[in-house]
Amino acid sequence: MLGALLFIYGLLGAVALHAHMRRGPAVHAEAAGTALAQLKPLALRMPLAMLLAGFLSHLVPPEMIVGSVGAEAGLRGILAAALVGMLMPGGPMVTFPVVIVLFRNDAGAAQMVALLTSWAVLAGHRVLAFEAPLLGWRFVALRLVPSLPLPVIAGLLAQAVLDARLG
Amino acid sequence: METGVSEGRSGEGGGPAAARRGRFDRGILVYALLALGAGIACLALKGPAETMVAMADSLGLLVSIVPLVIGGVLMAGYAQHLMNREKTSRWLGGASSLRGLTVATVAGALTPGGPFASFALVLVLHRAGVGLPLLVTYLTSWSVLGAARVIVWEIPLLGWDFTALRLLVSLPLPFAAGLVTAAMQRKFAGYRFAEAGER
Repeated sequence: MLGALLFIYGLLGAVALHAHMRRGPAVHAEAAGTALAQLKPLALRMPLAMLLAGFLSHLVPPEMIVGSVGAEAGLRGILAAALVGMLMPGGPMVTFPVVIVLFRNDAGAAQMVALLTSWAVLAGHRVLAFEAPLLGWRFVALRLVPSLPLPVIAGLLAQAVLDARLG
Repeated sequence: METGVSEGRSGEGGGPAAARRGRFDRGILVYALLALGAGIACLALKGPAETMVAMADSLGLLVSIVPLVIGGVLMAGYAQHLMNREKTSRWLGGASSLRGLTVATVAGALTPGGPFASFALVLVLHRAGVGLPLLVTYLTSWSVLGAARVIVWEIPLLGWDFTALRLLVSLPLPFAAGLVTAAMQRKFAGYRFAEAGER
Protein backbone atom coordinates (compact mmCIF):
# COMPACT_ATOMS: atom_id res chain seq x y z
CA MET A 1 0.00 0.00 0.00
CA LEU A 2 2.87 2.38 0.85
CA GLY A 3 4.54 1.47 -2.42
CA ALA A 4 1.38 2.36 -4.34
CA LEU A 5 1.13 5.70 -2.50
CA LEU A 6 4.75 6.59 -3.28
CA PHE A 7 4.24 5.57 -6.91
CA ILE A 8 1.10 7.66 -7.40
CA TYR A 9 2.37 10.79 -5.65
CA GLY A 10 5.82 10.52 -7.22
CA LEU A 11 4.24 10.38 -10.66
CA LEU A 12 1.87 13.21 -9.73
CA GLY A 13 4.87 15.36 -8.74
CA ALA A 14 6.58 14.68 -12.06
CA VAL A 15 3.44 15.43 -14.09
CA ALA A 16 2.81 18.65 -12.11
CA LEU A 17 6.39 19.80 -12.68
CA HIS A 18 6.17 19.05 -16.40
CA ALA A 19 2.87 20.94 -16.65
CA HIS A 20 4.33 23.87 -14.71
CA MET A 21 7.23 24.17 -17.12
CA ARG A 22 5.10 23.88 -20.24
CA ARG A 23 2.02 25.85 -19.27
CA GLY A 24 3.08 28.09 -16.38
CA PRO A 25 1.75 28.29 -12.81
CA ALA A 26 -1.90 28.79 -13.90
CA VAL A 27 -2.10 25.11 -14.86
CA HIS A 28 -2.23 24.02 -11.21
CA ALA A 29 -5.54 25.77 -10.56
CA GLU A 30 -6.97 24.39 -13.83
CA ALA A 31 -5.90 20.85 -13.00
CA ALA A 32 -7.27 21.12 -9.47
CA GLY A 33 -10.60 22.36 -10.86
CA THR A 34 -10.84 19.43 -13.27
CA ALA A 35 -9.90 17.00 -10.51
CA LEU A 36 -12.47 18.46 -8.12
CA ALA A 37 -15.21 18.14 -10.75
CA GLN A 38 -14.25 14.47 -11.20
CA LEU A 39 -14.12 13.80 -7.46
CA LYS A 40 -17.50 15.31 -6.64
CA PRO A 41 -19.63 12.47 -8.02
CA LEU A 42 -17.25 9.95 -6.40
CA ALA A 43 -17.57 11.46 -2.91
CA LEU A 44 -20.90 9.76 -2.20
CA ARG A 45 -20.60 6.82 -4.56
CA MET A 46 -17.29 5.46 -3.33
CA PRO A 47 -18.36 4.96 0.31
CA LEU A 48 -21.61 3.34 -0.88
CA ALA A 49 -19.76 1.09 -3.33
CA MET A 50 -17.27 0.00 -0.64
CA LEU A 51 -20.13 -0.72 1.73
CA LEU A 52 -21.82 -2.81 -0.96
CA ALA A 53 -18.60 -4.72 -1.67
CA GLY A 54 -18.06 -5.30 2.06
CA PHE A 55 -21.55 -6.75 2.56
CA LEU A 56 -21.34 -8.85 -0.59
CA SER A 57 -18.03 -10.41 0.44
CA HIS A 58 -19.72 -11.67 3.61
CA LEU A 59 -22.92 -12.73 1.87
CA VAL A 60 -21.59 -14.71 -1.09
CA PRO A 61 -20.25 -18.09 0.01
CA PRO A 62 -16.58 -18.55 -1.03
CA GLU A 63 -17.25 -22.06 -2.38
CA MET A 64 -19.65 -20.55 -4.90
CA ILE A 65 -17.01 -18.13 -6.20
CA VAL A 66 -14.30 -20.78 -6.43
CA GLY A 67 -16.69 -23.14 -8.20
CA SER A 68 -17.81 -20.58 -10.79
CA VAL A 69 -14.76 -18.37 -11.44
CA GLY A 70 -11.92 -20.21 -9.66
CA ALA A 71 -8.74 -21.20 -11.49
CA GLU A 72 -10.04 -24.77 -11.85
CA ALA A 73 -13.20 -23.60 -13.62
CA GLY A 74 -11.25 -23.12 -16.88
CA LEU A 75 -13.12 -21.96 -19.97
CA ARG A 76 -16.49 -22.24 -18.24
CA GLY A 77 -15.15 -19.90 -15.54
CA ILE A 78 -13.84 -17.49 -18.16
CA LEU A 79 -17.28 -17.38 -19.83
CA ALA A 80 -19.01 -16.87 -16.45
CA ALA A 81 -16.57 -14.08 -15.52
CA ALA A 82 -17.08 -12.38 -18.89
CA LEU A 83 -20.83 -12.41 -18.28
CA VAL A 84 -20.40 -10.92 -14.78
CA GLY A 85 -18.13 -8.20 -16.20
CA MET A 86 -20.70 -7.27 -18.82
CA LEU A 87 -23.42 -6.87 -16.20
CA MET A 88 -21.27 -4.96 -13.68
CA PRO A 89 -23.43 -1.99 -12.69
CA GLY A 90 -20.82 0.73 -12.36
CA GLY A 91 -17.43 2.28 -12.90
CA PRO A 92 -14.04 1.37 -11.45
CA MET A 93 -15.06 2.17 -7.89
CA VAL A 94 -17.49 -0.72 -7.97
CA THR A 95 -15.65 -3.15 -10.21
CA PHE A 96 -12.21 -3.13 -8.59
CA PRO A 97 -13.51 -3.73 -5.04
CA VAL A 98 -15.63 -6.61 -6.40
CA VAL A 99 -12.53 -8.13 -8.05
CA ILE A 100 -10.61 -7.76 -4.76
CA VAL A 101 -13.39 -9.62 -2.96
CA LEU A 102 -13.36 -12.36 -5.63
CA PHE A 103 -9.57 -12.68 -5.39
CA ARG A 104 -9.77 -13.02 -1.60
CA ASN A 105 -12.05 -15.97 -2.25
CA ASP A 106 -9.62 -17.65 -4.63
CA ALA A 107 -10.95 -16.54 -7.99
CA GLY A 108 -8.60 -17.44 -10.87
CA ALA A 109 -6.36 -14.76 -12.44
CA ALA A 110 -7.35 -15.71 -16.02
CA GLN A 111 -11.02 -15.50 -15.03
CA MET A 112 -10.47 -12.05 -13.49
CA VAL A 113 -8.71 -10.91 -16.69
CA ALA A 114 -11.84 -11.97 -18.60
CA LEU A 115 -14.08 -10.13 -16.10
CA LEU A 116 -12.14 -6.87 -16.26
CA THR A 117 -11.82 -6.99 -20.06
CA SER A 118 -15.52 -7.63 -20.42
CA TRP A 119 -16.35 -4.79 -18.06
CA ALA A 120 -13.91 -2.48 -19.89
CA VAL A 121 -15.07 -3.08 -23.48
CA LEU A 122 -18.74 -4.02 -23.06
CA ALA A 123 -19.73 -2.09 -19.89
CA GLY A 124 -23.44 -1.42 -20.11
CA HIS A 125 -23.46 1.61 -17.84
CA ARG A 126 -20.92 3.45 -19.97
CA VAL A 127 -22.78 2.66 -23.18
CA LEU A 128 -25.99 4.04 -21.68
CA ALA A 129 -24.47 7.11 -20.07
CA PHE A 130 -21.91 8.24 -22.65
CA GLU A 131 -21.55 6.26 -25.83
CA ALA A 132 -25.17 6.03 -27.00
CA PRO A 133 -26.02 9.69 -26.26
CA LEU A 134 -22.87 11.01 -27.90
CA LEU A 135 -22.31 8.64 -30.84
CA GLY A 136 -25.70 6.98 -31.31
CA TRP A 137 -26.88 3.37 -31.11
CA ARG A 138 -25.69 2.54 -34.59
CA PHE A 139 -22.09 3.19 -33.57
CA VAL A 140 -22.62 1.18 -30.36
CA ALA A 141 -23.79 -1.81 -32.41
CA LEU A 142 -20.94 -1.50 -34.93
CA ARG A 143 -18.39 -1.43 -32.10
CA LEU A 144 -19.95 -4.23 -30.05
CA VAL A 145 -19.86 -6.82 -32.85
CA PRO A 146 -16.05 -7.05 -33.05
CA SER A 147 -15.73 -6.50 -29.27
CA LEU A 148 -17.92 -9.37 -28.05
CA PRO A 149 -15.28 -12.14 -28.28
CA LEU A 150 -12.45 -10.05 -26.78
CA PRO A 151 -13.01 -10.92 -23.07
CA VAL A 152 -12.89 -14.65 -23.80
CA ILE A 153 -9.78 -14.22 -25.99
CA ALA A 154 -8.07 -12.25 -23.19
CA GLY A 155 -9.03 -14.88 -20.61
CA LEU A 156 -7.74 -17.77 -22.73
CA LEU A 157 -4.48 -15.92 -23.50
CA ALA A 158 -4.00 -15.22 -19.78
CA GLN A 159 -4.63 -18.89 -19.05
CA ALA A 160 -2.00 -19.86 -21.64
CA VAL A 161 0.53 -17.45 -20.10
CA LEU A 162 -0.14 -18.79 -16.60
CA ASP A 163 0.13 -22.40 -17.79
CA ALA A 164 3.41 -21.65 -19.59
CA ARG A 165 4.83 -20.01 -16.46
CA LEU A 166 3.86 -22.94 -14.26
CA GLY A 167 4.89 -25.60 -16.73
CA MET B 1 -33.07 8.14 -17.72
CA GLU B 2 -35.08 8.51 -20.88
CA THR B 3 -34.72 12.27 -20.96
CA GLY B 4 -30.98 12.05 -20.46
CA VAL B 5 -30.58 9.77 -23.47
CA SER B 6 -32.86 11.64 -25.84
CA GLU B 7 -31.44 15.04 -24.89
CA GLY B 8 -28.00 13.67 -25.50
CA ARG B 9 -28.96 12.87 -29.06
CA SER B 10 -30.51 16.16 -29.99
CA GLY B 11 -27.96 18.57 -28.55
CA GLU B 12 -24.27 18.14 -28.85
CA GLY B 13 -22.91 20.38 -26.11
CA GLY B 14 -25.52 20.13 -23.36
CA GLY B 15 -26.73 16.63 -24.18
CA PRO B 16 -23.98 14.47 -22.75
CA ALA B 17 -23.66 16.80 -19.78
CA ALA B 18 -27.37 16.35 -19.14
CA ALA B 19 -26.96 12.60 -19.47
CA ARG B 20 -24.13 12.80 -16.99
CA ARG B 21 -26.25 14.71 -14.52
CA GLY B 22 -29.01 12.15 -14.89
CA ARG B 23 -26.51 9.38 -14.39
CA PHE B 24 -25.18 11.12 -11.29
CA ASP B 25 -28.53 11.10 -9.50
CA ARG B 26 -29.49 7.63 -10.69
CA GLY B 27 -26.09 6.29 -9.82
CA ILE B 28 -26.23 7.48 -6.23
CA LEU B 29 -29.74 6.11 -5.80
CA VAL B 30 -28.83 2.73 -7.30
CA TYR B 31 -25.73 2.40 -5.11
CA ALA B 32 -27.65 3.47 -2.01
CA LEU B 33 -30.42 0.93 -2.67
CA LEU B 34 -27.97 -1.87 -3.45
CA ALA B 35 -25.88 -1.15 -0.36
CA LEU B 36 -28.99 -0.93 1.81
CA GLY B 37 -30.37 -4.19 0.39
CA ALA B 38 -27.08 -6.00 0.86
CA GLY B 39 -26.80 -4.61 4.40
CA ILE B 40 -30.29 -5.81 5.32
CA ALA B 41 -29.60 -9.22 3.78
CA CYS B 42 -26.32 -9.45 5.71
CA LEU B 43 -28.06 -8.50 8.95
CA ALA B 44 -30.84 -11.04 8.39
CA LEU B 45 -28.64 -13.93 7.24
CA LYS B 46 -25.39 -13.42 9.16
CA GLY B 47 -26.45 -11.48 12.26
CA PRO B 48 -25.37 -8.11 13.67
CA ALA B 49 -21.81 -9.13 14.63
CA GLU B 50 -20.77 -10.15 11.13
CA THR B 51 -22.58 -7.14 9.66
CA MET B 52 -20.41 -4.89 11.84
CA VAL B 53 -17.30 -6.73 10.61
CA ALA B 54 -18.43 -6.20 7.01
CA MET B 55 -18.89 -2.47 7.66
CA ALA B 56 -15.45 -2.25 9.29
CA ASP B 57 -13.98 -4.02 6.23
CA SER B 58 -15.60 -1.45 3.96
CA LEU B 59 -14.26 1.43 6.05
CA GLY B 60 -10.76 -0.04 5.94
CA LEU B 61 -10.90 -0.44 2.17
CA LEU B 62 -12.21 3.12 1.79
CA VAL B 63 -9.49 4.63 3.99
CA SER B 64 -6.78 2.84 2.05
CA ILE B 65 -8.17 3.77 -1.37
CA VAL B 66 -9.11 7.45 -0.91
CA PRO B 67 -5.55 8.89 -0.91
CA LEU B 68 -4.74 6.90 -4.06
CA VAL B 69 -7.87 8.04 -5.86
CA ILE B 70 -7.24 11.70 -4.98
CA GLY B 71 -3.66 11.46 -6.28
CA GLY B 72 -4.81 9.71 -9.43
CA VAL B 73 -7.61 12.15 -10.19
CA LEU B 74 -5.23 15.10 -9.73
CA MET B 75 -2.86 13.46 -12.19
CA ALA B 76 -5.68 13.01 -14.69
CA GLY B 77 -6.53 16.69 -14.20
CA TYR B 78 -3.01 17.75 -15.22
CA ALA B 79 -2.92 15.31 -18.14
CA GLN B 80 -6.18 16.71 -19.50
CA HIS B 81 -4.75 20.23 -19.59
CA LEU B 82 -1.55 19.00 -21.24
CA MET B 83 -3.24 17.02 -24.01
CA ASN B 84 -3.63 18.68 -27.37
CA ARG B 85 -6.82 17.29 -28.88
CA GLU B 86 -6.29 18.82 -32.33
CA LYS B 87 -2.80 17.41 -32.60
CA THR B 88 -4.08 13.95 -31.65
CA SER B 89 -6.80 13.97 -34.29
CA ARG B 90 -4.43 15.24 -36.98
CA TRP B 91 -2.05 12.45 -36.06
CA LEU B 92 -4.74 9.80 -36.45
CA GLY B 93 -6.40 11.38 -39.46
CA GLY B 94 -3.50 10.79 -41.84
CA ALA B 95 -2.71 7.29 -40.66
CA SER B 96 -3.70 4.05 -42.35
CA SER B 97 -3.34 0.25 -42.10
CA LEU B 98 -0.96 -1.26 -39.56
CA ARG B 99 0.59 2.09 -38.75
CA GLY B 100 -2.88 3.54 -38.22
CA LEU B 101 -3.85 0.68 -35.92
CA THR B 102 -0.66 1.19 -33.91
CA VAL B 103 -1.15 4.94 -33.61
CA ALA B 104 -4.81 4.45 -32.62
CA THR B 105 -3.78 1.89 -29.99
CA VAL B 106 -1.10 4.16 -28.50
CA ALA B 107 -3.45 7.15 -28.55
CA GLY B 108 -6.17 5.14 -26.79
CA ALA B 109 -3.78 3.93 -24.12
CA LEU B 110 -2.56 7.45 -23.41
CA THR B 111 -5.85 9.40 -23.53
CA PRO B 112 -6.42 10.81 -20.06
CA GLY B 113 -9.71 11.72 -18.49
CA GLY B 114 -12.99 9.92 -18.13
CA PRO B 115 -15.21 8.31 -20.76
CA PHE B 116 -16.62 11.65 -21.81
CA ALA B 117 -13.28 12.90 -23.18
CA SER B 118 -12.65 9.72 -25.20
CA PHE B 119 -16.10 9.48 -26.75
CA ALA B 120 -15.99 13.18 -27.62
CA LEU B 121 -12.64 12.60 -29.30
CA VAL B 122 -14.14 9.74 -31.33
CA LEU B 123 -16.75 12.14 -32.67
CA VAL B 124 -14.06 14.67 -33.57
CA LEU B 125 -11.98 11.96 -35.30
CA HIS B 126 -14.99 10.69 -37.24
CA ARG B 127 -15.68 14.20 -38.50
CA ALA B 128 -12.03 14.53 -39.44
CA GLY B 129 -12.45 11.52 -41.73
CA VAL B 130 -11.02 8.71 -39.59
CA GLY B 131 -12.57 5.37 -40.58
CA LEU B 132 -14.62 3.06 -38.35
CA PRO B 133 -11.86 0.41 -37.86
CA LEU B 134 -9.53 2.99 -36.33
CA LEU B 135 -12.31 4.43 -34.15
CA VAL B 136 -13.05 0.94 -32.82
CA THR B 137 -9.33 0.29 -32.30
CA TYR B 138 -8.94 3.57 -30.43
CA LEU B 139 -11.91 2.94 -28.11
CA THR B 140 -10.91 -0.68 -27.46
CA SER B 141 -7.39 0.41 -26.60
CA TRP B 142 -8.66 3.16 -24.33
CA SER B 143 -10.90 0.57 -22.60
CA VAL B 144 -8.40 -2.23 -22.04
CA LEU B 145 -5.02 -0.45 -22.02
CA GLY B 146 -6.01 3.02 -20.71
CA ALA B 147 -3.06 4.17 -18.61
CA ALA B 148 -5.17 6.40 -16.37
CA ARG B 149 -7.29 3.52 -15.09
CA VAL B 150 -4.27 1.25 -14.70
CA ILE B 151 -2.37 3.82 -12.64
CA VAL B 152 -5.26 5.05 -10.52
CA TRP B 153 -7.04 1.77 -9.84
CA GLU B 154 -5.46 -1.41 -11.06
CA ILE B 155 -1.84 -1.26 -9.83
CA PRO B 156 -2.73 0.03 -6.33
CA LEU B 157 -5.66 -2.35 -5.84
CA LEU B 158 -4.72 -5.53 -7.71
CA GLY B 159 -0.92 -5.37 -7.74
CA TRP B 160 1.82 -5.35 -10.39
CA ASP B 161 1.76 -9.06 -11.21
CA PHE B 162 -1.89 -9.22 -12.15
CA THR B 163 -1.79 -5.87 -13.95
CA ALA B 164 1.21 -6.96 -16.04
CA LEU B 165 -0.52 -10.22 -17.00
CA ARG B 166 -3.70 -8.43 -18.01
CA LEU B 167 -1.89 -5.74 -20.02
CA LEU B 168 0.21 -8.34 -21.81
CA VAL B 169 -2.77 -10.35 -23.03
CA SER B 170 -4.72 -7.14 -23.82
CA LEU B 171 -2.10 -5.75 -26.23
CA PRO B 172 -3.45 -7.61 -29.30
CA LEU B 173 -7.12 -6.81 -28.55
CA PRO B 174 -7.34 -3.31 -30.11
CA PHE B 175 -5.68 -4.64 -33.29
CA ALA B 176 -8.05 -7.63 -33.39
CA ALA B 177 -11.11 -5.39 -32.98
CA GLY B 178 -9.91 -3.02 -35.72
CA LEU B 179 -9.06 -5.82 -38.16
CA VAL B 180 -12.41 -7.56 -37.57
CA THR B 181 -14.19 -4.25 -38.17
CA ALA B 182 -12.27 -3.77 -41.44
CA ALA B 183 -13.14 -7.33 -42.50
CA MET B 184 -16.82 -6.72 -41.72
CA GLN B 185 -16.70 -3.57 -43.82
CA ARG B 186 -15.29 -5.49 -46.77
CA LYS B 187 -17.98 -8.15 -46.45
CA PHE B 188 -21.02 -5.97 -45.72
CA ALA B 189 -21.50 -2.69 -47.55
CA GLY B 190 -23.84 -1.46 -44.79
CA TYR B 191 -21.25 -1.79 -42.03
CA ARG B 192 -20.64 1.96 -41.96
CA PHE B 193 -20.87 4.62 -39.31
CA ALA B 194 -22.75 7.74 -40.29
CA GLU B 195 -24.08 10.24 -37.82
CA ALA B 196 -27.80 10.95 -37.77
CA GLY B 197 -28.55 13.40 -40.56
CA GLU B 198 -25.50 12.38 -42.55
CA ARG B 199 -27.17 9.42 -44.21
